[in-house]
Amino acid sequence: MKYSGMTARSFVEEDVDHSDFYTRLYERMDEIKTLGLHRKLELKQIKQGELNGLPFTLKDSICSKDDPTYAGSKILEGYRPPYDATVAMKIKEAGGNIFAKTHQDEFAFGTGSLNCAFTTPKNPWDEERCCGGSSGGAAGLAASLDLPHINLGESTGGSISEPASFCGVVGLTPTYGLVSRHGLISFANSLDKIGPIARNVEDVALGLDIISGKDRKDQTTVGTSEKYTEALGEDVSGTRIGLPEGYFEISDEEVSETVLKATEELEDLGAEITKVKMDMTEASLPTYYILAPAEASTNLARYCGMRYGMEDKIEGSFKDYFSKIRGKGFGEEVKRRIMIGTYTRMAGYRDKYYVKALKVRQKIIDDFKRVFKKVDILAAPTAPIVAPKIEELRKMKPVEQYKLDKLTAPVNLAGMPQISIPCGFHKKMPVGLHLMADHFHEKSILKLAHAYENRRGKIDYPGI
Amino acid sequence: MTNDVRIGLETHLQLMTKSKLFCGCPNRGVEEPNTRTCPTCLGMPGARPQVNKRAIEMGIKIAKALGCKIPKEMNFSRKTYFYPDMPKNFQTTQFSLPIGTNGQIKMELGGEEKTVRIKRVHLEEDPGKLKHVGGGITSADYVLVDYNRSGTPLCEVVTEPDLSSPNEARIFLRKLSDIFEYLKVYDSTGEGTIRSDANVSTWSERTEVKNITGFKDIEKALIYEIRRQKNLKKRGKEVIRETRTYDDSTGTTKSLRTKEKEADYGYIFDPDLTRIELHTDWIEKLAKDIPELPHEKKRRYVEEYGVSREVAVTISSDFELAKTFEKLIDDLDVERASSMLAGPVKKVLNYNDMRFKESKLTTEKIKKLLDMIDEGQVTERNAEMILRVVATENKDPERVKEDKGFGKVTENKTKEIVERVLEENKDAAEDYIKGKDEALNHLVGQVMKGSGGSADPREARKLLKDMIKD
Repeated sequence: MKYSGMTARSFVEEDVDHSDFYTRLYERMDEIKTLGLHRKLELKQIKQGELNGLPFTLKDSICSKDDPTYAGSKILEGYRPPYDATVAMKIKEAGGNIFAKTHQDEFAFGTGSLNCAFTTPKNPWDEERCCGGSSGGAAGLAASLDLPHINLGESTGGSISEPASFCGVVGLTPTYGLVSRHGLISFANSLDKIGPIARNVEDVALGLDIISGKDRKDQTTVGTSEKYTEALGEDVSGTRIGLPEGYFEISDEEVSETVLKATEELEDLGAEITKVKMDMTEASLPTYYILAPAEASTNLARYCGMRYGMEDKIEGSFKDYFSKIRGKGFGEEVKRRIMIGTYTRMAGYRDKYYVKALKVRQKIIDDFKRVFKKVDILAAPTAPIVAPKIEELRKMKPVEQYKLDKLTAPVNLAGMPQISIPCGFHKKMPVGLHLMADHFHEKSILKLAHAYENRRGKIDYPGI
Repeated sequence: MTNDVRIGLETHLQLMTKSKLFCGCPNRGVEEPNTRTCPTCLGMPGARPQVNKRAIEMGIKIAKALGCKIPKEMNFSRKTYFYPDMPKNFQTTQFSLPIGTNGQIKMELGGEEKTVRIKRVHLEEDPGKLKHVGGGITSADYVLVDYNRSGTPLCEVVTEPDLSSPNEARIFLRKLSDIFEYLKVYDSTGEGTIRSDANVSTWSERTEVKNITGFKDIEKALIYEIRRQKNLKKRGKEVIRETRTYDDSTGTTKSLRTKEKEADYGYIFDPDLTRIELHTDWIEKLAKDIPELPHEKKRRYVEEYGVSREVAVTISSDFELAKTFEKLIDDLDVERASSMLAGPVKKVLNYNDMRFKESKLTTEKIKKLLDMIDEGQVTERNAEMILRVVATENKDPERVKEDKGFGKVTENKTKEIVERVLEENKDAAEDYIKGKDEALNHLVGQVMKGSGGSADPREARKLLKDMIKD
């Protein structure tokens, strides 16, 4: 059987016995280990079933029963959850196998996966560059592992799209609430979304088919169990595409041009392109950096060395002990966000920051809703730059790093679906085209991305 | 002297749901530590809360019964503070949109009706429990944590500072608990099921006394705290605004933290829990399930049945006792039923520190006992003795009468005793003849003693009079 370059979908549909496949997979994974993309899991038993044994990876913040799940943090080192996240359970029930946890920024706080407590994942296109973040390991693995598989990432403010763009793969961030967050170690609960990352559109659609749907364990989930793969191949002519003002202007010129060229190809496929004005883009980043840390700082309160993860000798009062563990266990960026997030919700500042940001967020949603009355899809660069060098990123001040989220934060605050698909290169690094749609319009962006992908043709991924 | 004490209470009552507030773990049951737990109530990373609809419905009923305004929608918030019994180091509670606001409770106070204003009613989760091994909070060798209680639904009722004495506070708590029991959302018989924090001021800075469990300690804690505040002033010292904790082992309050160190809980909405719409239809449907409440019953007993106010309060304050009353008066005189229940029955319940439902008493047992008195089988006094037994044992009153020899003695037998008593107490008989009425009481007492309580005192009195005359 020739597996190299095979899609996940063909792997599932091919009516053959894949029992020798996992030997190949593990050999291959050992070869790409040096990139620091993942932590291998031991499979006790290889499942077959409906998915024919399709391999999956989970971002380190997604729990799978008895498997090491650290969310990129020292404070959770050694933690093996006693339960499966709903997405993990769905994969297992469908006959998939979870074979690795992918590295990420600690608790998903970062844009380059540099804030990982265990390793720094390196970009397979250029090892001096980062994979993006926070789902950097997932995107990097999709680019470097040429065997059929699907990676699950998680986005709070752009953590699927941005690394997908930097690594030249496809990343889908679904509508908030379409995929259960039960078992996802929270960053910011009102923003977190689990989504698939793979080399092609078909595979992310297949991933979404498996993981989406209402879950009684997550009260914020909503309804439908659709087959997203069925939307692929549908005619896209007449699709109204809007190019949001401001998104291209702040991006590197070459990145903008590459993306604009891609939109021209969409036009050739029959789409109608117009420019649209967005009013709330500038307000998005500050809003995001108030709400996300506020929620995160409460989520992180539970890590105190009592019930799981890091432990130490018990001395002094419980406060002394908690402070000792939290001081040692959390990285610098985590501490920074706890401080920002705690500040903005304290009495006296709460109304000025947290409550106000909630109101602004509603205005951002309204802004998108208004635009989506005029156009079906928004197209823009995913990130304003290509993957930066690890050393450059390390030298950047936190606020400069936060600015890398500028194009993804708005749509993430709106909780609307988005897909990043590679559309060319700049400095020999992939550039991502970002397609965004109104709530629950995953099918529109998937079929458009699919049509574009067919026209664009295959990408030659770097050999490891 | 004008009363200068102002007390406001924040009382937490555990709701009797089957499962916990945010997960499917049983709310009660096995007490082996840390067995009634799951990833959600242990705060494991990634586990989500799922709100218990029954608890919301109980909350609506409570808010409605307390005359509160119920908002169109409610939500939960995160109250962040670090403590080892809190799995998430935040408590999921209600902050800006509680389930009820601006209600009141009317309570009977020395024959007058007093209204205590309710500021707010909200739902929240209980934390786990700390077990100090080998000593108290400061002296223990080590501390164990049991998370069985974590996630138990609590209803917090916050009053305005309308209470003016420790005694009033105790009466209020009892009243609050009565209402909750009427609604079948609470069981006052469980340990630690009602816990209060009290705000106390004596026309000075107020202090908050935390951690007061049950009905008796509220009075003790407040008496101590008020005395402490008054003594400070007497000594020319100021009461400072602070949070204190009640220590039930010493009956005193101790400073926990001062105003400057007051906790800031940094409330945010709990983003894992969506807003819950409280539809009018839903509220109305639940309101239909609210039974006639204690103060309504009390008023009806007074107005319809002509029962005295005091008796009506006594009977209506215990739901099952009130039910028994209403059953008894189907075929009994109101006066007879009410005096039995508010008298001997209540006495025996108080003696055993029990609610009616906790006792082994039933309407049938009480009915039978009343019949036995009417038929002259037992004296009123012995009926009480039988009541004591059947209140705690699963026994038939008739059997108890036989077994313990509580049957009334015959007239002839009483006559024999009277003769003997007169023989032995000639002086008293003489006194009576000379006009000393209390001498007769002494003689009746002697007859009762001689019969082991089984003689009818009225009969004995009559016989004594007749025989002294002879």
